[in-house]
Amino acid sequence: MTLLEKDRAPVSASRHYWRNVFQTVKSTAVGMGITFKYLWSKPVTVQYPDEKLPTDERYRGIHYLEQDLCICCDACAKACPIDCIEMDATRQGKELDWHSFTLDYQKCMFCELCVYPCPKDCIHMGKEYALVTEDRGTLVLDLLGWKGLTEEQKVRIADAEAKKAAKAAAKKTKDAAAPPAAPAAPEVPEAPAAPDGDEEA
Amino acid sequence: MNVAAIFPTDPAAAAAALAQQGNLATDALQGVLPAGVPWWMITLGGAGLGFAAIMGFVTVMSMFSIWLERKVAGHIQVRLGPMRVGGWHGWAQSIADGVKLLLKEDIVILGADKVLFKLAPALVLGTALATFVALPFGPGAMIADVDLGVYFIIAISSVTTIGIIMAGWGSNNKWSVYGAMREAAQVASYEIPFGLSLMPPVIYYGSFSLRAATEAQAGWGGLHWYIFDPLTFWVAIPSFVLFFVSILAETKRAPFDLPESESELVAGFHTEYSGIRFSFFFLEEYAAMFVMSGVGAAFWFGGWNFPGLSLLEGSPVLHSLAAVGVFTVKSMLLVFVMMWVRWTVPRLRIDQVMTLGYKYLTPLTLICVFAAALAEYLKS
Repeated sequence: MTLLEKDRAPVSASRHYWRNVFQTVKSTAVGMGITFKYLWSKPVTVQYPDEKLPTDERYRGIHYLEQDLCICCDACAKACPIDCIEMDATRQGKELDWHSFTLDYQKCMFCELCVYPCPKDCIHMGKEYALVTEDRGTLVLDLLGWKGLTEEQKVRIADAEAKKAAKAAAKKTKDAAAPPAAPAAPEVPEAPAAPDGDEEA
Repeated sequence: MNVAAIFPTDPAAAAAALAQQGNLATDALQGVLPAGVPWWMITLGGAGLGFAAIMGFVTVMSMFSIWLERKVAGHIQVRLGPMRVGGWHGWAQSIADGVKLLLKEDIVILGADKVLFKLAPALVLGTALATFVALPFGPGAMIADVDLGVYFIIAISSVTTIGIIMAGWGSNNKWSVYGAMREAAQVASYEIPFGLSLMPPVIYYGSFSLRAATEAQAGWGGLHWYIFDPLTFWVAIPSFVLFFVSILAETKRAPFDLPESESELVAGFHTEYSGIRFSFFFLEEYAAMFVMSGVGAAFWFGGWNFPGLSLLEGSPVLHSLAAVGVFTVKSMLLVFVMMWVRWTVPRLRIDQVMTLGYKYLTPLTLICVFAAALAEYLKS
């Protein structure tokens, strides 16, 4: 409450005294009214670990990885200015046998530079931010949802193997079916002849 | 009062003295114990019972008040306050804090005046507990029905100041001494408006006794309180406001918490205290708040009187318990207002405190005393 001009105007001492009394009582009453209103208003704070305030749309928290898209190309690790990303996977034909994809959050500065070079757009900045621990070793997080091969991958590998085997078998039967027709097809004996020629060369 | 009246040697006089005390604890003991027990044993036993009752009540009430203070502070600042300990809105927070204070190291600093340093918390809490003796909790639920109840409370609560000066001086710390000196200056100046603001009700009731004051307000089915009396409310309301401002200063509550103003004096007189000794000062603050609010409730707000309470008069124990409940709730409401003021009004400077005390409260309370006398004259 600001003092008005008329409240500051010079007056006689006794009027000044009573004006002080009146203003003190009034301003205290107004202030208490305001705090009483606030007393019953809904608190703006939240009970943090149980409920969290919403994070921004572009918030840069702990990464998450779309592992089924990732091709283990190392682009993000190369882009990282402090080398905190490491990944390891073995190739099984077209499939990846994942061993690890670790981010060292002791180092990570959440700069988002790892996100841009990704050719598959599979690493993102997440919304999680609470990295509270009593042991710094636990700050090296593995972003993999699974390790090794998934059932799906195994099925796909088995399918590919079966396809390959079927192809090979088909070729074999074709080869096996070919000899009776060999006299009729003069180019077939030529085909084995080509390697022979190579060997000779 | 002469010594023979306090310590009668003649058995008949002793029995009469015991009967005169109006003391619930001694009455109960007399009913239970066999006839041959000497009177001094009954008095001592009564004192022990009274002490246990006060100590239990003050501990529970202070813990509740501390929790309430933190909740009120939180909600006035649009946050939540303690929410974790014990489940429902952190109700066990004070218990956890109490256990923590009990387990903390009790440090007596090297340069301290050890006697004063150790005596001060005991003196401060002891005097705060002693003031509870005269509070009129309910019919038959007073430890002692003191004729000069209010006078007794004013006198004993002033001794607290000596304890605080002892604490400040004994701490061998400049900030502590500053706090203690401020306390002395503040209490000495606010003693005047505090005492004078109690005079209008004393004139109205014609008695210093808190029980007599409470019983005088029993009319209108329990609503004939001093503050509602149509002939005197115009004195009662301003005198209550002045009384309330004075008790804020007397109990060192914000905006008059200069003795422990943490932004300037670290923590004032209790800077050097830790653990259980610190918690004694803490308990004293809330005990003093309750006692002062109790005096206000008894003198202005009808004490234990409340509509509907007379229905219980058939069973004295139930009536007494309900009266204690009503009185405690009324006092706690005033304690809540003290908290509400604390979280509204910023702390005054020491010169502003003195100006308010001497230039405003003292003359205004004197005017109230004259007005009360005038009201009584006009009534008669």
